[in-house]
Amino acid sequence: MTATPGPAAAGLETVITDQVTAARATWSAFRRNPLGIASLGILAVLVLVGVCAPLIAASPSGYGDQVLQPPSGAHWFGTDNLGRDIFAEVVWGARLSIVIAALSSALAILIGVLVAVLGAYFPKADTVIGTVVDLCLSLPVLPLMILVAALAGPSLVTLVLVIAFFSWPEVTRVVRSQALSVVRLPYMDAARVTGGSHAWIIRKHLLPAVAPVIVVSVVLTASRAVLSAAGLAFLGLGDPTSWSWGRILYEAEQSGAMSSAWWTTLFPSLAMLALVVSATLISIAYNDARNPRTRED
Amino acid sequence: MRVRLPFTALAAVAVAATVAACSPSAPSGPGGSTSDAVLTIATTTDVVNFNPLIGNSRTDSWITGLMYPRLLTIDANGAKQPYLAKDYGFTDATTAYWNLRDDMKWSDGKPVSADDVAYTINSILKDKPTGNTTYGQLVNVDSASAASPTRVELKLKRPDSTVVTEVGFWMNVVPKHVFEPAGSVAKFPNNSNWVSAGQFKLTTVAKGQSYTLERVTPYPFAPKGTPTVAKIVYRVYPDVNTEILALKNGDVDLIANALPPAQVKNLQSAPGVKVEQVPGLGYAHMTYNMKRKPLENLKVREALAHAVNYEAIRSVVLQGQAVSTGSSPIPPVLKDFADPSSKEYAFDTGLSKQLLAEAGFGPDKPLSLTMIYSLQDAVTSQWAALVKDDAAKAGITINLQGMDRNTYLAKTNAGDYDIYAGNFAIMDDPTTNMALTYLPGGAINYSNVDDPALNALITKAQSTTDKGQQKQLAQEAGKLVRDNVYDNVMYMQNLYIAHSDKWSNFIIKPSELLSLVDPQSLANATKS
Amino acid sequence: MPQVLRFAVRRIGRGLLTLWFAATVTFLLLRLLPGDPALAVASPNMTPEARQTLLQQYGLDEPLLTQYGKYLWQLLHGNLGTSFSQQLPVSTVLLQRLPWTLLLTVSSLLVTVAVGIPLGVLAATRPRGFLDRLVQVGGVVGQSLFVPSVGIFLLFVLGLQLHWLPIGGAYSPGVYGTAWYGDVLQHLVLPCFSLVLVQLGSYVLTLRSTLIDSLGEDYCVLAQAKGLPNRKVVWKHALRNALLPTTTLVGLQLGFLVGGAVLTETVFAYPGIGRGIYEAVTQLDFPVLQGAFVLLAATVVLANVLTDLAYGLLDPRVRTA
Repeated sequence: MTATPGPAAAGLETVITDQVTAARATWSAFRRNPLGIASLGILAVLVLVGVCAPLIAASPSGYGDQVLQPPSGAHWFGTDNLGRDIFAEVVWGARLSIVIAALSSALAILIGVLVAVLGAYFPKADTVIGTVVDLCLSLPVLPLMILVAALAGPSLVTLVLVIAFFSWPEVTRVVRSQALSVVRLPYMDAARVTGGSHAWIIRKHLLPAVAPVIVVSVVLTASRAVLSAAGLAFLGLGDPTSWSWGRILYEAEQSGAMSSAWWTTLFPSLAMLALVVSATLISIAYNDARNPRTRED
Repeated sequence: MRVRLPFTALAAVAVAATVAACSPSAPSGPGGSTSDAVLTIATTTDVVNFNPLIGNSRTDSWITGLMYPRLLTIDANGAKQPYLAKDYGFTDATTAYWNLRDDMKWSDGKPVSADDVAYTINSILKDKPTGNTTYGQLVNVDSASAASPTRVELKLKRPDSTVVTEVGFWMNVVPKHVFEPAGSVAKFPNNSNWVSAGQFKLTTVAKGQSYTLERVTPYPFAPKGTPTVAKIVYRVYPDVNTEILALKNGDVDLIANALPPAQVKNLQSAPGVKVEQVPGLGYAHMTYNMKRKPLENLKVREALAHAVNYEAIRSVVLQGQAVSTGSSPIPPVLKDFADPSSKEYAFDTGLSKQLLAEAGFGPDKPLSLTMIYSLQDAVTSQWAALVKDDAAKAGITINLQGMDRNTYLAKTNAGDYDIYAGNFAIMDDPTTNMALTYLPGGAINYSNVDDPALNALITKAQSTTDKGQQKQLAQEAGKLVRDNVYDNVMYMQNLYIAHSDKWSNFIIKPSELLSLVDPQSLANATKS
Repeated sequence: MPQVLRFAVRRIGRGLLTLWFAATVTFLLLRLLPGDPALAVASPNMTPEARQTLLQQYGLDEPLLTQYGKYLWQLLHGNLGTSFSQQLPVSTVLLQRLPWTLLLTVSSLLVTVAVGIPLGVLAATRPRGFLDRLVQVGGVVGQSLFVPSVGIFLLFVLGLQLHWLPIGGAYSPGVYGTAWYGDVLQHLVLPCFSLVLVQLGSYVLTLRSTLIDSLGEDYCVLAQAKGLPNRKVVWKHALRNALLPTTTLVGLQLGFLVGGAVLTETVFAYPGIGRGIYEAVTQLDFPVLQGAFVLLAATVVLANVLTDLAYGLLDPRVRTA
């Protein structure tokens, strides 16, 4: 789970050995948390469904003659207003929703961690960065996302960029506070005194030390991205040419089916719920396992 | 908990402010004489502007339509009928006239006069308000004047046989004494102290939520000069699902916007709800941009036209609620003009492939085009996907570009597309519409067609006042359009409007713009 | 108290800085992104010259920096400009809607805090117990719900099926006097409830983890060791310290919250500012958008400054931090 540095890291072995044992201890604590393990299983299944979508169902396209049919043996999740199979839509939607979540959280993490680490490591930049992050966090995010998505035109790239661009401050906030506490520890001073370059110190010591926080951020940012993407899609600002869970809900809304055909909304909403809940529970379980105070020994 | 203190304080302040600012006071004065019935109408779009000369949302036109009269109205067959104007015509080729009724009054007591009509026309010409439909129809008009309090005369730059009926139907007449002091009509918000000559007058506005109109008497088009409905309340439900729930629950009596096709059956069987069919008066179409290669090639356009399964679109996307126009731009509902011999393009993938091959396209040289449509238009968005899938079967790649309505309109005006998909709500007069759609420089000539033969037919139809000749010319022009695929008209949609079964006696008029919420209809509706 | 004064000045200065930042970000976003502001004001009927005149009128043809200067100058004077589509001052357009958004957000925040504190305490006092697990899972599920789906479900069940609550709107037209207040409250229940459902999770979970942390701090351990009743340790000592970071977090998320009401307002047909923003986007009404963002930011800043000042007065540690 944790990004531990390899045994090749020169010097300061004690720190690294500590980290390896800590990771093992975290994992063994995590394994004992039924919620965490169950969530990990659900997440794995969803990712698998997304990856193997073409093997599970044919890509939903065209139309069918059975319009708005409730769930049945032929259509497990029923059909939508054009007679398309909702099960296939949910399966293919998993793919795009996960891709959007992964890409936008990766980008947000990249920006967020970079800014946070730079801020923590170079105290001069930190005041500015801290202020900017606080400022960004107080902006109304969803309306800004709506604005940018509407002006730039709906597409996968827009969606990923918009979500990433408005999510990184949250990542920076969390990572920065952790990084700040690490920078003050004596072993960082030791590394500096022994003449390590800035890049080396950041790579070998600062990043591994904040890695657990980053892991949690990845999971939380990704799960929030799923909800943001769905919200934008629901307002008609999603990618109209490929299937995502948000688009299924958007089409149900547009065709007025939400109020009478429950299956058009229930299944994509459940899929979204399963993904976000399992991701969040994993991060909580991981946090608890990492923290000796809450660890279930 | 002391920490909650600031929050509590903040909340208390906010709540107090809200309540103090908004608490409405009960209206005073005696109620109406005939009935106190209140009709609540749901709509999905909020009012943007109360100035009827600025085109914005559909709700704007419904509400201002109740306050500012048209000169002419339209019946279920799309034929023009007198309204504010008693009769109309031409004194010579370049002078047109309307004679007005003398019993219509503004709600402040002043008569609706020819002066108001002339002022409205001249202001539109002068100030060019954004999105004003009439402006495009006034191209041949020099100016308007009041020859007498009940007679308006139009001076034309060149003969135009359709201007009286088109402007008469599309334009809302506004009170000169209210609008003129405000300066430019393009900038007048008209957001308070309304003066109306409809049978209803706006009295209370709660932005984003509800608009209340109250009965105005006397009104000549209602029984005994008094509208049967005392009050009309428009309520905004941005989500059509909530809107449908509100109707089923009895919170609203009528849904003004046309129902999504897939919901018609559901509501027809819902208890307490009645669904009325409203004839459409417009059509949905795709146009191929002839300024772009290879769409100037007739064979390519034919290949595209034969690669669409029109029947599937009508039966699945529209749930059988649409009729074919035989690929003609004259919809069958216009009985005075329609050409029943016009045949729809056959869905024939083989023929499509063959035509493509003849035009030099094939597996080694595939044809790839972009198609734009508005995402706010749910029905078009749905069939656009079907068009793409069917074209792929004929080896044509269509890249769908669904976009926000404003971007779509901008792209359309800039000619930045290969295929345009969209629809027109009302095509009430074939001659006028063909002039706008197919003449070079026409406001909605989206295929950029410029065919001398077609131009001649349309111009001739415009200048003749003989009905029979006009019909023949329009049909010839329609055939030319169909045979050369200058336009691909796919269907005319019949609309369905749902209302509570407690209400009856609505007058059904064509198109979503008028439907059951036209002034005459609301003046006669009764509650059981 | 010069120290308190200095703290207040610093905090207010920071608030003003945030406002300036929000105003600038909005301005730049609107000007630098694709999408033609001229499109929104100019009619397709227009000749290029007429269009140019119109652009001049709105100052849209001037260099960016000049536009920015004018914009800030107008803001300082409380002038938010004129709406493109409604021909009304932006402040008039927005102030009709802002109270409803405030009512909705503030009431949902109040309920969240009122319900969240006992739940958080319950979960933190017996970590890993059944209740703790229940609260955790419930909180996580709540914040992972997709508002429109929940909204339609609530409307369907509580509105259409059970007739307990009205469907959509902020109040029924035609209701006056004291009945009106009750009516407003009835209409508030469902949108408020769905917002609470979504917010409660993160509030309770944050409170829980900070509480667990502070219960492990020396002073709490000491208090317990001294034989103070457990309940007293939790409510008097640990909670007091845990509430500070939690409430700060709520303040930080206020912007997220106020803006996030767009979906809620759409489904429940609530006439708030979120919906107004969405409509302004579809009409490309730039002045309204600009004004809405500045106004929302101002609301959030004001709430945060007030909360912080109150803290500063009550808690000396904050002043020096």
